[in-house]
Amino acid sequence: MSRSPGRKQENHKISRELFVLTYGALVAQLCKDYEKDEDVNACLDRMGYSIGIRLIDDFLARSAVKKCRSYSETADMIAQVAFKMYLGVTPSVSCSSATGNEFSLILDKNPLVDFVEELPAERASLCYCNLLCGVIRGALEMVHLAAEVSFLQDRLKGDAVTEIGITFLRKPEDRKHRRNK
Amino acid sequence: MSRQGGRGTESKKMYWYLPFISPSASLQLMNSELFTLTYGALVTQLCKDYENDDDVNKQLDKMGYNIGVRLIEDFLARSNVGRCHDFRETADVIAKIAFKMYLGITPSITNWSPGGDEFSLILENNPLVDFVELPDNHSTLIYSNLLCGVLRGALEMVQMAVDVKFVQDTLKGDSVTEIRMKFIRRIEDNLPAGEECCPFPFPWRLPMLSFQL
Repeated sequence: MSRSPGRKQENHKISRELFVLTYGALVAQLCKDYEKDEDVNACLDRMGYSIGIRLIDDFLARSAVKKCRSYSETADMIAQVAFKMYLGVTPSVSCSSATGNEFSLILDKNPLVDFVEELPAERASLCYCNLLCGVIRGALEMVHLAAEVSFLQDRLKGDAVTEIGITFLRKPEDRKHRRNK
Repeated sequence: MSRQGGRGTESKKMYWYLPFISPSASLQLMNSELFTLTYGALVTQLCKDYENDDDVNKQLDKMGYNIGVRLIEDFLARSNVGRCHDFRETADVIAKIAFKMYLGITPSITNWSPGGDEFSLILENNPLVDFVELPDNHSTLIYSNLLCGVLRGALEMVQMAVDVKFVQDTLKGDSVTEIRMKFIRRIEDNLPAGEECCPFPFPWRLPMLSFQL
């Protein structure tokens, strides 16, 4: 579907449940379409990416945030502003590398799966919420930040928390710059 | 997805991808744009899966129905509405409470039939279609048809069989979006119509219903 350029700025706040159930219907449909979990995961990621490249416009308009000056600020912005705005939750952020480009968002409560029972045996490698990874990746790309985003831990798979890893990829110019020093 | 077990066990099977909703969960509000875009992804996927718009419309309705039969309990728990005494009260609750809660809008209620069994919900703006234009080859797609299924499924759980359909759609060039709701009959027992069903289990849990895709 093509998207019309006009954006409405009304602040429609909604209760989550219709969204959570619609998301479940989407995952169900993809599981019908693809036999392998990897294919479902890839499709969710692609869909998320398409969503993210559009959602960023809305986010920047609503949040009126200034340009982030560091990866750390960006990670904080994602957790404290974007997640809060679009999912109503605030993951905690930790930096997981000395190089300062790898971060983890830890969700105690993942709104998409709060009440989903465990994955069935035949869908053990499904990343149920993989749409979120694509959304983050797509949105960041639109602000010229390349990143890899994936689930590192998943409560649905028996882990204690849900953890999303964001690795900001260095721009080629940065690497060249450092080599020339 | 493969279905395991005989048909008799299907109604009891846990459909893991349809989340349970605990009425005790606190009211977490979110902006609607992520929902709008996710809904768009769902419709797009269905358009890839089904060749004609009619099949997509039916699938959206079916999905909506399965969502509605679950959503109603969350709604009843959160909104604390009592039993509606007549269809007019039901209309008010749907428009002023349910739509407000889950879509952030309040449609107006108009065009009551003389018998009081039919009315229209007029949506001046529909958040589901915020960023959408229907391409020419999908002119008969009822983009928001999930909503009809949701309403139908939810009302069935409170013993009302209704017919719900879109009669005007801004996506098709109409000035408003109009959903027509018609009361058909009261459902006497607690079990929903249809071959796969579970009786209402405990009041604090939503029924597990088989999800026939």
